[in-house]
Amino acid sequence: MDPWLLITIIVGFGMAWAIGANDAANSMSTAVGAKAITPKQAVLIAGVLEFTGAYFFGKSVTETIRKGILYPDKITDPNILVYGSVAALLAATIWLVIATKFGLPVSTTHSIIGGIVGYGIVYAGFSVVNWGKMTQVVLSWILSPIIGAIMAFFVFKALTKSIFERNDPVKSSKIWSPFWVGLAFVVIGTMFYIKVLHGKDLGRGVIFYGIPAGLVVFLILFFALRAKFPSSDPFIGVESIFRRVQVITSGYVALAHGANDVANAIGPVAAVYAVATMGMAGMKVPVPRWILAMGGLGIALGVATYGYRVMETVGRRITELTNTRGFTIDFSAATVVLVASWLGLPISTTHVVVGAVIGVGLARGVKAINKDIVRDIIISWFVTVPVAALISASLFKVLMIVG
Amino acid sequence: MQVWTKLFAKSPFKPLIKHAEVALQTVETLEKALQAWREGNYEEMKKLALEVDRLEDVADRIKAEIRDSLSSKLMMAVAREDVLIYLHMQDKVADAAEDTAKWLLVKEPGDIPEEIKEVILQMGTESIKAAKLVYGAIVQMDRVIESGFAEKEIEREYEIIHEIEGVESKIDGLDTELMRLVFQNADKMDWSEGFYLLNIARTLSNISDKAKDAAERIRLMMNK
Repeated sequence: MDPWLLITIIVGFGMAWAIGANDAANSMSTAVGAKAITPKQAVLIAGVLEFTGAYFFGKSVTETIRKGILYPDKITDPNILVYGSVAALLAATIWLVIATKFGLPVSTTHSIIGGIVGYGIVYAGFSVVNWGKMTQVVLSWILSPIIGAIMAFFVFKALTKSIFERNDPVKSSKIWSPFWVGLAFVVIGTMFYIKVLHGKDLGRGVIFYGIPAGLVVFLILFFALRAKFPSSDPFIGVESIFRRVQVITSGYVALAHGANDVANAIGPVAAVYAVATMGMAGMKVPVPRWILAMGGLGIALGVATYGYRVMETVGRRITELTNTRGFTIDFSAATVVLVASWLGLPISTTHVVVGAVIGVGLARGVKAINKDIVRDIIISWFVTVPVAALISASLFKVLMIVG
Repeated sequence: MQVWTKLFAKSPFKPLIKHAEVALQTVETLEKALQAWREGNYEEMKKLALEVDRLEDVADRIKAEIRDSLSSKLMMAVAREDVLIYLHMQDKVADAAEDTAKWLLVKEPGDIPEEIKEVILQMGTESIKAAKLVYGAIVQMDRVIESGFAEKEIEREYEIIHEIEGVESKIDGLDTELMRLVFQNADKMDWSEGFYLLNIARTLSNISDKAKDAAERIRLMMNK
């Protein structure tokens, strides 16, 4: 095997581990915080579903990272792509470590894209960056939390109207919670058709895969919920139903996160792989499945080895989140992330989840949100890309001289 | 990871409920002090009045903690100003109870007509009702938020607010009755006794007055 490919694989695997350790834990936090699942269960669910998401649904975003940010035909020297990819991965990892030290909530997605843009500009100037795609990506970073917030706002309003305002909230939630989970499976089923079976027709996917999957899940859940839950205190009854349902939606988040964020670790690896096998920055080489699997494995390993501690801390400290809120946040965020993955847009899961939290807050669902943290997150958006780009650019220069 | 532990700020509602609980205890202890006063058990009365003073201190401390934690950096389901003013009013309930306790402590009562004692005791009992209702109102406010401002829960909250207003007007009536009785019995008492009784009546009716103001703030919280 090409030694540089081996190095990239190792660095990429390390990045995947870091994503699993920090990000994946974030994606399951609402469920752990709302006491829907224990940290141990969260690790197991996240590990399996992150891998599944990465392996089956992770390709489009990986392609965007591999060849969407820089014009591949402008990088003629294959070594450049190798050095650049290593520099980008290292820069992203370094910046993540620094930011974690200072408690800044930065995004792995923003870091890796900063890294790629950084080495690209040093090598061939600004024209090498596909600014059209880049604008689209950056726009999606701004839009996705906003869409997450709007969606969470309306989902929570809908829950209020359909459950809390009814005469028998427990009875209503037995009908409406399977409906929302069913809707989630409409999205998952459609994605399965497009991503795994490589279907082209969205309408066909929705009708033949999405809706049947959603319907089956709706019916299973509907009958499963009918048996139990005596209606004593209506609010406790509703929350106990949603505590169970939330296990499914938090899995939905893990799946979506794997699908989108695996690309941050393995996009550059895939780029180097293309060079190693074709000798050129080949456009034609598709991302091989084993690289997606490797990324998924790295994330799962990160969750298992380090994410556990993160989730334990979170589980102890978020006490202000109820199951209906957690459910709303999970459902809205995962849907936005999964749709973005389908469009091949690398977005930040954490930021979408934060957007959804704010949406529930605006619907007067969450009692108190810390505005300072929201501000920090927004600042981190503007800081991460240039900083990661600078680190990557310096590393790239060094590699050029040494290599 | 830090995002999650910091993003959700601590809700002010649990401490507000705790504060309401202490305010209620203050009023309940005051009523016990009034009973001891009526029975002429002044030792017991003094002990209880001092306990009212202590409880009011506890309420003050909780109030200070809530105020410190409610910075403008929070995004809340209700307006911050309403919460702060509500807290101020709820605290005034405990303050008013303490004021009454102070009057009990400063002067040994002389020979007070039984019918006046009767009215004062009634005012005490009604004050407990008011304080209990305030406690119920803030617990219900928590439920209103928990339900995502469901119409049904808001209606229940309005019912409690109406009840508080009802108690307040009842105490107002007792207050007027007491003033009338004090002047009716003017020749049986000296001026200092009259002054003493009127002030006890005034501070007692303050309890429900402030309870009503607190209820008014809760109404505003729901109409953000």
